[in-house]
Amino acid sequence: MKKWAKLRKKLVIPGVLAILVAMLLAGCGGGKTESQKGASDSQQSAREKIIRISEANVPNIDPGVGSDYASSIALANLYDTLVFPSHDGTLKPWLATGWKTSSDGLTWTFNLRHGVKFHNGDELTAEDVVFSMQRMLTLGEGYGYLFTGVVKEVKALDNYTVQFTLKKTFGPFLSTLVRLYILNKDQVMANIKPGPYGKMGDYGKDWLITNDAGSGPYMVKELKKQEHLYAVKFDQYWGGWDQDAPDAFKIIGTTAPSTIRTLMTRRELEITDQWQTKEALEALDRIPGVSVNAAFTGTILNIMLNTKKAPTDDVHFRKALAYAFDYDTVVDKLFPGCRKAKGPVSSVLPGFNPNLTPYERNLEKARAELAKSKYAGKLDEYPVELAWVAEVPDEEKIALLLQSNAAELGIKVNVVKVPWLSFVDQVAKPENTPNASIVFVSPHYSEAGSILESRYHSKSTGTWEQCEWLKNPGIDAAIEDAISTLDTNKRFEKYGAIQEKIVDLAPTIWAFDQAEKRAYQDEYVVWPAADLIKQGKPVTSVMGYMFYFHDFKVYPNKVPK
Amino acid sequence: MKLHSYLLRRLLLSIFVLVGLSIVIFIIARVVPGDPARMALGPRAPQFAVDALREEMHLDKPLVAQYYYWIKGVATGDLGRSLVTKRGVLEDIMEFLPATMELVMVSAIFVIVFSILFGALAARYKDKWVDSVIRIMAYTGVAVPSFVLAVLFVLIFGYLWPVIPALGRLSAGVQPPVSITGLLTIDSLLTGDFPVFWDALKHLFLPALALAIGPIFQEARIIRSAMTDNMGKDYVAAAVGYGIPNHIIMGKYLLKPSLIPAVSVMGLDIASLMGNAFLVEVIFNWPGISRYGMEAMLRKDLNAISAVIIVFGLIFVLVNILVDLIVAYLDPRIRLGGKL
Repeated sequence: MKKWAKLRKKLVIPGVLAILVAMLLAGCGGGKTESQKGASDSQQSAREKIIRISEANVPNIDPGVGSDYASSIALANLYDTLVFPSHDGTLKPWLATGWKTSSDGLTWTFNLRHGVKFHNGDELTAEDVVFSMQRMLTLGEGYGYLFTGVVKEVKALDNYTVQFTLKKTFGPFLSTLVRLYILNKDQVMANIKPGPYGKMGDYGKDWLITNDAGSGPYMVKELKKQEHLYAVKFDQYWGGWDQDAPDAFKIIGTTAPSTIRTLMTRRELEITDQWQTKEALEALDRIPGVSVNAAFTGTILNIMLNTKKAPTDDVHFRKALAYAFDYDTVVDKLFPGCRKAKGPVSSVLPGFNPNLTPYERNLEKARAELAKSKYAGKLDEYPVELAWVAEVPDEEKIALLLQSNAAELGIKVNVVKVPWLSFVDQVAKPENTPNASIVFVSPHYSEAGSILESRYHSKSTGTWEQCEWLKNPGIDAAIEDAISTLDTNKRFEKYGAIQEKIVDLAPTIWAFDQAEKRAYQDEYVVWPAADLIKQGKPVTSVMGYMFYFHDFKVYPNKVPK
Repeated sequence: MKLHSYLLRRLLLSIFVLVGLSIVIFIIARVVPGDPARMALGPRAPQFAVDALREEMHLDKPLVAQYYYWIKGVATGDLGRSLVTKRGVLEDIMEFLPATMELVMVSAIFVIVFSILFGALAARYKDKWVDSVIRIMAYTGVAVPSFVLAVLFVLIFGYLWPVIPALGRLSAGVQPPVSITGLLTIDSLLTGDFPVFWDALKHLFLPALALAIGPIFQEARIIRSAMTDNMGKDYVAAAVGYGIPNHIIMGKYLLKPSLIPAVSVMGLDIASLMGNAFLVEVIFNWPGISRYGMEAMLRKDLNAISAVIIVFGLIFVLVNILVDLIVAYLDPRIRLGGKL
């Protein structure tokens, strides 16, 4: 009896601990039931024929406000535009069935498609186009900057004809119209609240945070800030439906690698964001049924050289750095799958000049250029300050590579990690802008002119898009002349000439053409852009349109067990 | 001093703390580099739009005037508009705070229950194997940050061994209950929706545990230390001499006075869970206020930063008052100002 009491006493503590551990491991007792539930969740959601994609944030779905990647994906699916970007860089008629331009390029007249329905059943007319453009011009937010300096007036000539009058001839006007998302005027006006826009109140901004007023293939079902946007198929979509097209899509606002990996494994996510690291993508690629797709969409990683600060104010010094940089190591080892950039414009953008002679690593040429520089022999007195953005850890690899390459020439490079907010503040003045800054830049619309203007025209100095402070009147005039040229071929020729001039000035080391890499479920999802890439064909470089879910296909019966 | 006058004094002092905090955070948020209006609208936004936003946020006025407008708004319940979510900050806080509160409350329960249990066990079996095991767990638990535990939990329970939900607040396809308090567990109970309650509770388990493990073992060590100190006191020897059973000495005479130092630290730790939650919320895809505050700081969302800090400050102040009341209850000498 005593022995039993002793034994019982001894067993009390291990027993308590065992129960605690069991509780910790089994959670609140979910056990097998949860496992089965988890499996049935993914199967059930897969049966929904849904595409779920992760992004850095939940989109802003107001067409006059949203402009980041997540928002661009959402807007391309919730709204229609007058023209639509094809995968080969051309534009095809969409809501506009045709258009004509006046000889001076100042007046553009569009004929609209008949019978297009908004999600609430109203018919889309020219008044809605007028309203959408006027709203864009008044708010000046989101993609509004594409039109505020260009569009003077917009009017409806009749129910199905709309006319834009421009302030100046703007060759790429048609390309920018992929960002004019057409809103249902009556629906928005029925939901305005008091606000700063006179009789337009708040212009429907508050209502449009969580609702849509579009005619696109999908309509908003639920938007939860910090969580997701969930949108479902619009059955009466004028473009019709394929039987295997997704019934719904969800944009989930997270990029945490462990979360993404879990969701992909459980088939609760179809496409990942583009911010997964090389290591995370490799792990995702090992999941059965998951592949990694790499798309070139016009983004270049730039090492911007401050042309107004010693020693990078000397063109020969800049060229020496450009010749010293090891481009092969970048594309072979640091960022496999990316490709060498040939100049300021990505090779996928219409208007790119394929005849450029890009800088290649050549230490002899680098030393020769350095010898011509006014800083030759005084390199110790002029160290180069190289900044990379703290929030993008991959940039550090580029910084360290340039530091090591420059050391071979005797140039001392001080690498500095700068938080984004401080960086934006620093580059507002030439004297505070570092000698070299590593920044990714994407085009605003699908044409070389977009990059040339935002990167090298004097009006973008003081912003993070141009840390070069080029301020070259000749380049400014050439860019203005090119973008005001109506004839596409002539405009592209002019773009080509500008690219040659810029390459010769070497204000930037164009490190590489970025491949936007995303893992996706290729067993049960057909992603048209990924298929085009597999066939060696180009994909659209207009942000968001690679995810036009209407053209996707989902096969729930193929979901891997 | 009576308990209610003690409480009143603490509440009055708290107002000064909050006003001081509001001034400090207001200045700090504004000296961080970068124009918030330009940041929000992008480098190509036309100047008129940037100017309009600056005017709306009163950024075109001197700092003192900006503070005046802001504090006036706070007093009337208008916390301004968020540059990230594009809607009222108050609306954001009302939506995101309950998710974090629910998480922190479950974490707090874990902390209270397990820290007392582990602390008492370690003291009772001082220098035995039980004490050694808890000590090793304590060193590990305190040394490993909550976000590392969060990543491990997600990978283990979401990926390798999916026995318990690892992401979000509810399973896919489960409809949340009608929002009454915003706390899914409470709302589902109030509406009698027990399957949703169970689902929400299971979703809370891993993030709450990831947050709680550090504080659990920190408090456990403090309780153990206080209990072993008190074990050598004369009154305990007297109790043993009277033949009072061991479990009564431990539970009644040792534990209560030994909790005083732990309760003070526990209060701060539980309030700190709010701040520590931000990475855990990111990893578990938990739509809470800590994650919202982090986003606000990265994007210089002035109104949101100020509001989140004030909310956190308010919670700290309230938790501290509560802790002081508990300590005063446990030790009358404190509330009576040492007059005993």
